[in-house]
Amino acid sequence: MRQGEAVTDADKRRWLPHFCSLPTLFAVMVVAELVVVVLALAPDRFTRSSLAELGIASVFVQWLALLNAVVLCSLREVLERLSPRAGFLIAWVLAVVTTGLGSALVHAMDHALSLGLTTDAEGVLRFALGNAAICALIAAALLRYLFIRELWQERVEAAAKAQVDALQARIRPHFLFNSMNTIASLIRTRPNEAERAVEDLSDLFRAALGTRATLATLGEELDLIGHYLRIEGLRLGTRLRVECDVDAMPRDMALPALLLQPLVENAVYHGIQRMPDGGVLSILGTRNVDGIEIVVRNPYPPDAAQPGNAHALANVRARIGYHFGARGVLLVEPGRDVFSVTVRLPDESPR
Amino acid sequence: MKALVVDDEPLARERLVSMLGDIGGIEVVAEAGDGIDALEAVERTQAELLLLDIRMPRMDGLEVARHLASFERAPAIVFCTAYDDHALAAFDANAVDYLLKPIRADRLRAAIERARRFSHDVVHTLDGPRATSRERSHLCARVRGSLVLVAVSDVDFLHAEDKYVIVRHSRGEVLIEEPLKALEKEFAGRFVRIHRNCLVALDKLAGLTRTPDGRVLARLDRIATPLEVSRRNLPALRKMVRSL
Repeated sequence: MRQGEAVTDADKRRWLPHFCSLPTLFAVMVVAELVVVVLALAPDRFTRSSLAELGIASVFVQWLALLNAVVLCSLREVLERLSPRAGFLIAWVLAVVTTGLGSALVHAMDHALSLGLTTDAEGVLRFALGNAAICALIAAALLRYLFIRELWQERVEAAAKAQVDALQARIRPHFLFNSMNTIASLIRTRPNEAERAVEDLSDLFRAALGTRATLATLGEELDLIGHYLRIEGLRLGTRLRVECDVDAMPRDMALPALLLQPLVENAVYHGIQRMPDGGVLSILGTRNVDGIEIVVRNPYPPDAAQPGNAHALANVRARIGYHFGARGVLLVEPGRDVFSVTVRLPDESPR
Repeated sequence: MKALVVDDEPLARERLVSMLGDIGGIEVVAEAGDGIDALEAVERTQAELLLLDIRMPRMDGLEVARHLASFERAPAIVFCTAYDDHALAAFDANAVDYLLKPIRADRLRAAIERARRFSHDVVHTLDGPRATSRERSHLCARVRGSLVLVAVSDVDFLHAEDKYVIVRHSRGEVLIEEPLKALEKEFAGRFVRIHRNCLVALDKLAGLTRTPDGRVLARLDRIATPLEVSRRNLPALRKMVRSL
């Protein structure tokens, strides 16, 4: 029930559950009903308990539970400005007070209407305090559980983030030095191309060395892929032939920088570059109802054992998983001669 | 000094050639774009110096060096690579020097000095293919004095006879002068011993047959006559065939 929020709000951590959300409401109602059943099963109440009474108690307790949920839900913003510890304490006090007051109110109404559903007139204090005490115990346990779960989730997320940071797109050192070598040889004969290669290389490294939280747009990513392919084109000459069709893609879609470029780099490094006559690297991007799909295909030599390949792809897969959850997909299809990688990303802002 | 420039990138070759021109005393007799072309060019031109890239299609530079070790007049090898994750392997391959791209002119000059000394001293104490290095992608044979490279993946079986090993492959057979035992060790995952004098490519093995007189024969794809399996190698072979 918390994941949804964690994704949308990464900067400000939301430690208090969203009590108005259906899953949390459901959990609260289940706990409330359990309390009713437990109380009904208590030995001293056996004599008086009946199905009708259980029903009335359920209605009353559910009403209290929902009232608490509504109170906590509407005060969530305020509570979250405090530290989690203080926030939870105040939430607990709120729940106890709400329950006490709610009980007193119900008792008063019952008495005024002479329904006889609660205790007699003098018992109002006992009724309200008793309910508040029960609520205090249950709420303490529930909030403690939520608090611990919050801490645990925070730790898990921190670990995941650290992992993703470690996976942050890196450009292969080979690529840097080969490009430098290309530029060194262009400077003598074709200074204009050397200049452009330096510009392309700078853009790529700016993205690779950028702060880790950088979100880019799909358009920027496609431009980077273009820069990258232009440099590799200089290096590999006619061996690298590119077929690129990405016009249908939404250029303003947000995605982490250098999420797709490694796939293209992989296609060159393990595919095109290892073919004596090179080959066609194809990039096909489409837009569909859920988001985008991009397919990168390259020929590769038959003897290719691909340990490095698996590593780079696992890296991209982990990052997609972190940023988009289960809705981001990376499919790898090593065919007979053609290696194909498909990425599907949902059109929603990444984490 | 006759030099050969080997790199799969035209611009990298271009730069090296022009730098070698600046140094003087070096004649670039050929350029090659991959390892196999390089071996053929060495054979053809009798180059004395090889400027050799490591990462190349078809056959990488390290393997080229290993094959050259068996040449009678091996050229001096200077590896040129973009990133030094192969330095140790390169020296294992008896390179005279190892340069990092982009190559500096003075480093290139120093490397060429070393290469000159190397070819003058004619120190060819190379001990052939190293058992420690990775397996080769090709076997290198000579047929009537010229070089023949056979892709290991094309080999059906290896049969030892006297001091030669017959390499039977998809387009015929060649002789190589390497001990069967060393070949067995190098290509352990690819070939299996079926007899004291025979290794068979696992992926070409079609099955085993028992003859009426109790001998066991190995059938191979594409090979008409089955090969004899010795009693000693049969249990291990059976086990391997079952696990395929």
